[in-house]
Parts: sequence; structure tokens; C-alpha cells
Amino acid sequence: MFPYRGYAGKCLYVDLTRGHIETKEYDQELAENYLGGNGVGTRLLWENVGPEVEPLGPENWLIFSTGPLCGTLVPNPGRMEVIAKSPLTGIYGDSNSGGFLGPEFKFAGWDAVIVTGQSSRPAYLAIADDDVQLHDASELWGLGTSQTEAAIRKAWGDPQVKTAIIGPAGENLVRMAGIQITPQRSAARCGLGAVMGSKKLKAIAVRGHGPIRVANPDRLRDLSLEMQQRLRANAIYPAVSAHGTPGIVSLMNALGRFPTANFRAGGYEHADRINADALDARAFVRHVACFGCPVACDKVYRVPDGPYAGTSLRSVEYETLNSFGACILNDNLDGILAANRLCDELGLDTISAGRSISFAMELWDEEILNLDDTGGLAFRWGDMDLVLKVLPMIARREGFGNLLAEGVRRMAETIGRGSEQYAMHVKGMEIAGQDGRAQRSMGLAHVTSSRGADHLKAFPVVDETGFPDEGRRRYGDKYLPEIVQPLATRHKAFLVKDGEDFGAVVDSTGMCKSGGTFVLAELYWPDLAAALEATTGMEMPVERLQRIGERIYNLQRCYNALHGITRADDRLPQRFAEEPSPSGNAKGQTIDVEPMLEDYYQLRGWDLERGWPTPDKLRELGLPDAIERLGLG
Amino acid sequence: MHLETAAEKCTGCRICENFCSLQHEGAIWPARARIRILSETDDGPFTPNICRQCAEPECAAACPVEAIQRNERTGAWVVSAECIGCESCVEACPYHAIFFDARSGAAYKCDLCDGNPQCAAACPEGAVVLAKELC
Repeated sequence: MFPYRGYAGKCLYVDLTRGHIETKEYDQELAENYLGGNGVGTRLLWENVGPEVEPLGPENWLIFSTGPLCGTLVPNPGRMEVIAKSPLTGIYGDSNSGGFLGPEFKFAGWDAVIVTGQSSRPAYLAIADDDVQLHDASELWGLGTSQTEAAIRKAWGDPQVKTAIIGPAGENLVRMAGIQITPQRSAARCGLGAVMGSKKLKAIAVRGHGPIRVANPDRLRDLSLEMQQRLRANAIYPAVSAHGTPGIVSLMNALGRFPTANFRAGGYEHADRINADALDARAFVRHVACFGCPVACDKVYRVPDGPYAGTSLRSVEYETLNSFGACILNDNLDGILAANRLCDELGLDTISAGRSISFAMELWDEEILNLDDTGGLAFRWGDMDLVLKVLPMIARREGFGNLLAEGVRRMAETIGRGSEQYAMHVKGMEIAGQDGRAQRSMGLAHVTSSRGADHLKAFPVVDETGFPDEGRRRYGDKYLPEIVQPLATRHKAFLVKDGEDFGAVVDSTGMCKSGGTFVLAELYWPDLAAALEATTGMEMPVERLQRIGERIYNLQRCYNALHGITRADDRLPQRFAEEPSPSGNAKGQTIDVEPMLEDYYQLRGWDLERGWPTPDKLRELGLPDAIERLGLG
Repeated sequence: MHLETAAEKCTGCRICENFCSLQHEGAIWPARARIRILSETDDGPFTPNICRQCAEPECAAACPVEAIQRNERTGAWVVSAECIGCESCVEACPYHAIFFDARSGAAYKCDLCDGNPQCAAACPEGAVVLAKELC
């Protein structure tokens, strides 16, 4: 009998090759050493998906993984993880989504769903509490994500069914295909929708009616109410709650941290046309929340008139306002919303899809691409008619869209002719809406992230503009003032390492990084330790939790090391070192990550030559099998 | 006392359902919550639905064994152990705010948490509030 509360206590193994479904008890040792979510997914990937496995082959695992706090009372506990080897980067891949699916898995009685093999024809997995079945999905294949969800709900006669669905992009193995999660949220990054497509799994549909039992209900209730009150009293809460992530567009633009024209610049002259005020004035309908979230950063928007009239969507994020706005020099807000909605329906990551397009636009501008290359499409900056025409071509791999579907690293390899210098990625992952020239810690975070360029692993926020109160509250006086100064390098290795370890824990519990833990920088190690203890009944001193975070992050690095990743791969695109930023507070700045990276390896206990965990560090973290597997001892 | 709701403030987060079920079931169990968020779409609008603690409740009137009695201190209409599980109350309530638990064979509904309703305590938006005047 699984001994801990908070968990459902069991998981599903679905072998699509054989059409076989198996129930297993959740692994007690895994829960003790990796919690759940991200951590357990990392361990399963490490043990079962070796370097010989092709990301789009049947041997890859696709792991849907909730955590012990998912679906509980703590603020914003609606998150779940999807983990697999990434077809975009070829290394460790994960993506996280809010919404309502994670909790629904738990109410149905499942902590994780592990999908292996490959179905011979389109299938979907139906989970109605204990009743789990594979259904034929031939009639759903080819449909958009919301069309598919509507069809499944109609067939079940239940509008409360929660889903994970791929669109045409995932079906066609587009390397930036995401998985749409009820309600119109996305596990977007790393191309995990293509992994789902390679398995011919169109959807997972879940309905649960059971309880989540917790170890100490009274304590968890009191802790959760106290945390909620702290969130609501937080100085940043009103802005985050009112505007969500779009609220930072103007701020980031002023800092020179808002990628513009494929990172030629970090500020956009028309940012005020695509910021939160513009968005609210134009299209705001109502505030909406993910499961159990008192922040409600999500909004429903609707375009009232004009060529895109009636476009209705939610989860319009800062990132998409950047990728289909400033980064392609488009100031047409309605066009951004239309592109966002189209990506949701096609099942495309708005960040990477936008970056493939901004890369092509810069190549067009530099006259590296011409009409012969693109099949007659002119990639002019800001042309939203082109963007809306090209997105379905990407999802269906038609014409030039077939190349865009590969992501910027492979595009550059195919195009050649000096295009590489404009390919803005790290380890094959397109860089999201940050710029290390304007925020040093973010440059470091991009190269140390275990899934390639990514802001959300370390998620350094206290030095975006300089938040001394948040910096002091979280880290004490010891690291001030540098830790909150955007352009200082001192203590940034600490900021990034701590963020990565804490983030790994947050992503393993089912809590949200856009809520209390990172964006508000309100909830920290002691809060999560207390919540985990009250929920699970596990003894959880802060030191143990920190060790778990460090173990997870080190194992992700080991997984990448196994795939040949070394220090040589921990590099930013040359542009950031060679072209001074022309924008905002970052004007004249370049970034050299090397000194911070040295600090970081030392702090992590990784060797300076390859940037791999040392045998001592791995022993300390209880990972002796990694020493052997990496040939370190 | 009774609960008042302000649908226009509701974000659909379900915090009320979670705290309600913990209070009454000892587990986080939205399917067993006394308060329910109603919505025709995932995007809202959302309506918190909860017992009005009516002055002349049709559920109590429909009960053949007078199992639904008012707690004079809190004003809540409470299902007692006398309930025979006939579901007449479920059919009678015009607000769909009283439910039947097939497992225990009895009806269940909001009892105002004996005067300290958890949904109102936890709702971050003020979409569910406790009104203290007797209705």
C-alpha cells in the first residue's frame, strides 16, 4: 500500500504498440527522492530512455506526471508536467501546463500516465476514474485541438471532461508541436506534441470523481489560507492579477529585454500598441483562473471587430505578444491574437513557431533567403497575412513550412550561407522573450537550462528591474545589492542555481511558477516544505527538499551529458557577445557568460572542463548509478 | 446567516469547492462539494451555486420524514440522520443545491460549516460572502 497522502498512489502504463494498459503502484522510493511531476519524470526518462532512442521512435517515453500538491489547497496547484526526450533538441525535454487536467488526473485516481510504444492507427486514451480504455481516433485525426475536445466531450456527453490533445502539428511531427491542455493552455515547448504524434496518440481525455486525501487536513487548510493571504498582500499581486504576463511588456521594453526583430534589438518602438493596456482596451472579456489559483492571471479575450472579428481565446501571454509582435516587427494586436488562436488550434508552440518565422524574416532582410528558397513567399517584417498563411503550412509541413517546422537550428543547417549567426537558439531550443544583454542572470540561465535556451528553469526575476525588497526577503542581505542588479554578474550563479533547484521542486509538486513561487517571489523553500509535510505526511525538513531539487537538476544534466552535452554546448548565440544592444537600459551592452558560468560550475560541484557533475557531487546526491553510466568512476 | 454570491467576480478557480469538500469530507473532493461552480463553457461566465438557506425551503417541505431541520443558531438547513435517501428534496430544490450520496444513501447540502463557511473564507475574489443577517 502506497504510504503517503496527497498522491493518488498509482500510475498507468500504456503500451500503444501492444494496446496494453497496466496499473502500477506509485513507486515509494521515487516519491521520497524525487517527489513527483518533473522529478519522477526525469528519473523515469533516465532509467528507460537511453541515448540510442530516437525522440520520434516508439522507444521514447511520453510521461504525464502530476505532483503531490497538484489538485490540493495550496495556491495555484493546477500544474502538471509532460516529459520525454525532445525531438527539437535531442536531449532532456519537458513542458509544464496549468489549467485543470493535472488535478483531474488525481481525482480520477492517477498520479502519472506513462505512454510508450506506437499505435498502428490513431488512438485516444479515455480515463473515466478506474475505467481506462484505448479508443480509435481515426475520425479525430486531422482535427484542430478545440474541435477534437468538443468532439470527445460530445461523445462522452460530459462538458467537464479534461483533455490533452495534439493538433495537426503534432500529427505531422513538427518539432515545435505542443500539447493543448484544458482549457486552451499548452505544454508547448520541446516539441512534445510531435512525440505524442509519433505514437499516433491524438488525445488523453480524463474525468475523475474521487478524493485527494491529505495527511493533515487542518494544518494544510491553515497553511494554504495563510499563503493565499500573503500572495494577496504581495506588492506585485495587483498587477499580475489584473494583467497577467502581458503586464510586463512595457517594463521589459524599457529595460531593453524585449526581443525585437529577431534579437537585433531589445526594444520595440510600437510596444505600447501591443502591451497590456492596449490588449485590455481592445479585447478584454473577463478574468479566469486555473485550478485553485487566487491570482487568476489568465484572461479571456475577444476581438470585437475588423478582419479578425470574433477571434476568442485565452492564455495570451507576454511571450506570444513578443514572438508575434516585437520579434517580427508587427504592431497589429489583432493579428497577434489571430496568430495565437491559430497556433492553439494547430497545436504549435507560439514561441518557437514565432522564432522560426522571425529567423526567416531576418534572413529575408539580409538577402540570404529569396523567393526561390521560400516557394514564392516574401518574408517581410511584420506581414501578418504571411504569418497566418505560413502557420498552417508549418503544421502540415507544406512547402517552405516543412523547413520552418524543423526549428531554427535545423533551418540554419539546411540553409547555410551564413544563416547560422542569426539562428537564436541554445542547444536547439529557440530563445524565448528575454535578452541576456539586459539581464545577466537570464543569459546564464539560457545556457544552463536543462532543456536548452529557457527562462523558466532558473526563472530569475528579482534582478529583472531590481527588486531589493523581494531580493532581501528571499535571500537575505548577504547577496545585496548585486543579486538584484540586472547588469551585475556577481552572485548570479547563486541566483540561477537556487532558482533551478527550487524550480525543479516546484515543478515536481504541481504548483505554479507564475504564481507565488517565482513571479511574486513570495513562497519559498520553507513554505513548500511545510505544505508537503502537511499534505503527504513525509518528513520534509528544508535541507531534504533542497537536496531533492539539486538531485533532480543534476540528473537532468547527467541525462544531457549522456547525450554528449558538454561545456562547449553551454553557449549563447554570438550576437549577444558581438552586437551591443541598441535598446533601453541595455543600450551598449553585450554579454559574456563565461565568468558567471565558471562560478556556476563551481557552485554546482561540476567539473570546469566538461561541465559535468563530479563523482563526489553525484555520491552526495545519492546518484551512484550516474557515476557508472557516465564513466566517471 | 446565509451565503451570498457575486457571479461577476468569480474566476472559476474552484477554491470554494476544494475548501468545502475538505471541511465536510476530510478530503479535497470537488465531486462532493456543497458549493458548485456552474458554467456553460471553460471560459465562463461562472456562477457559484450554493444553498440559499430559504425562509420556506422546498427541500424541507418535500421531505417525508422531516429530516431537514433549521439550526436556529446559524440559520442553516441541515440534513439529519433521519434521512431515508428518497431524494424528494433533490427533486424539489429549485436551485439544485442539495445532493444525494449513493454511497451513504443520504442527502447532503451546505450547512454553513456551522457558522464559519469555508468557501467564503477561502474565496480570493469575494464572490462568495457570508451575510450575517437572518433571511
